[in-house]
Amino acid sequence: MLKLFTAFLKINIQMTLAYRAETLTHILLNLMWLGWELLSLSIIFGNTATLGGWGPGQLIALLGVFRLVNTLMAALIWPNTEKFNSSIRDGSWDYALLQPVNSLFLVSFSRMVIWRVWDLVLAAILTIVGLSMSGGGTTLLNLLGFLALAVSGMLIIYSLWIVLIALTFWFTKFDNNVTILQALLDAGRYPATVYPLWLRLIVTFVVPIAVATTVPLQALRGDLNGLQVLLYLVIGAASFFFASRIWKAGIRKYSGASS
Amino acid sequence: MLRIYQRLWQVNWAEQWQYRANLLMYLLYWLVSPIVYLAVWTTVANSQGSVKGFTANDFATYYMILLIVDQLNSEITIHLLAYKIQDGTLSGELLKPIHPILTNTLVNNLAFKALTLMAMLPVWEILFLLFRPDFSSVTPQSVLLAVPAIVLGFGINFLFGAAITCVAFWTTRVYALSEFYYALLILFAGQFVPLDLMPPAIQTIAQYLPFQLLRYFPIQLILGKLPPEVIALDFALGVFWLAVAVVIFRFVWRRGVKRFSAVGA
Repeated sequence: MLKLFTAFLKINIQMTLAYRAETLTHILLNLMWLGWELLSLSIIFGNTATLGGWGPGQLIALLGVFRLVNTLMAALIWPNTEKFNSSIRDGSWDYALLQPVNSLFLVSFSRMVIWRVWDLVLAAILTIVGLSMSGGGTTLLNLLGFLALAVSGMLIIYSLWIVLIALTFWFTKFDNNVTILQALLDAGRYPATVYPLWLRLIVTFVVPIAVATTVPLQALRGDLNGLQVLLYLVIGAASFFFASRIWKAGIRKYSGASS
Repeated sequence: MLRIYQRLWQVNWAEQWQYRANLLMYLLYWLVSPIVYLAVWTTVANSQGSVKGFTANDFATYYMILLIVDQLNSEITIHLLAYKIQDGTLSGELLKPIHPILTNTLVNNLAFKALTLMAMLPVWEILFLLFRPDFSSVTPQSVLLAVPAIVLGFGINFLFGAAITCVAFWTTRVYALSEFYYALLILFAGQFVPLDLMPPAIQTIAQYLPFQLLRYFPIQLILGKLPPEVIALDFALGVFWLAVAVVIFRFVWRRGVKRFSAVGA
């Protein structure tokens, strides 16, 4: 599996290197959006000391986590969805299934947008800077809770994605499958606790963007008790379990477009 | 000529109907950001009474009107045309005795707009019930006055969008250019933050750029917040930028078509 992953990595790096100017343009645009995001934060905090109890450092850290989720989407989820949808439509998914590898692994990693690694670095820097700005009071336990919940939050979003694309096996003409994820993503930029209740419910339960962005930050602030942290971790593991079951059921249902 | 537009409308309206599921998703995408910023700023305003004179209700009315003005002024030319330039299918349209952008693409933009607005109205009403903004400052006159402002804004945005799309005659990186244009737009238009809250330097620059004519100006016009001299100045500015957009578009289009060699056709 690791060998296959390195092979995928190599192919995708070669694809990136073939379009160097393109890559540079992407990075510049990405920096421009970062500038805009920081400007928005500075405008907000130029007018208020806290946003619903959240300080500037915490919002910068949230921006870092948001960008992490965003990178997951842009580097893996969108490109692989595109590939998957077209392979269902033209029947080439048959060949993917014939390969002696875990199909879930294949559908998740065969496309990678390599230049987004850069975004990963930026996200890490933002998170660390934000954390040190919000400074004291952070215990080691809170930090661990933050890391664990960030990982499990992303696992939940990944699981939702698996379910959404697995639905294609039942409804072939379903190439809008992931747009709902994309549409609500922007809601991860700010703490869900400032949203009106209905929006908070949507981004927590329907499309759980906030579970990967707001919730880890809440753990870091010490807003969550041990039981709540544990609950979120269990939900993360359970959603991945169910998603892989649904995926397997979908594979069994699949009958191929070409044959 | 009118019959041509009528016919094009029928075709494009039917074509847009085909993609109604896609359309709903786009709509969702468009709605989320303004609602998020609305929630953020209402929280700030509620915690301290007001922000630079903006009360929670001012933010609610601003963003609720933004949702409509945004739809009315937006344009999707790059998605309709750039690929046709790149894969050469534009040649078929060039053979027709009408300008492909000022007829077919324009009408397709309008059909898309009409359909998204239709889908948005019920959503807007639900949001209205949820946020309950007080629109008492809106008068029939202010709405009437905003109509030419929005038409002017759409004209400017459409022509700039078309000019950017035509850069596809030279380079494939036209989407990056369009993204850059959009970034300038949201920075200087008052898209996510009313311009009054921006740093003074940005406000001063924004005053003279065309972008605020697309969002901030019509919104504030509807809300009845602009003094007559500012309204007059902005309309004059709008006419000026429309003229600039016409000149740029004609220049890029003529040069581009001459250069066009219809790859693969």
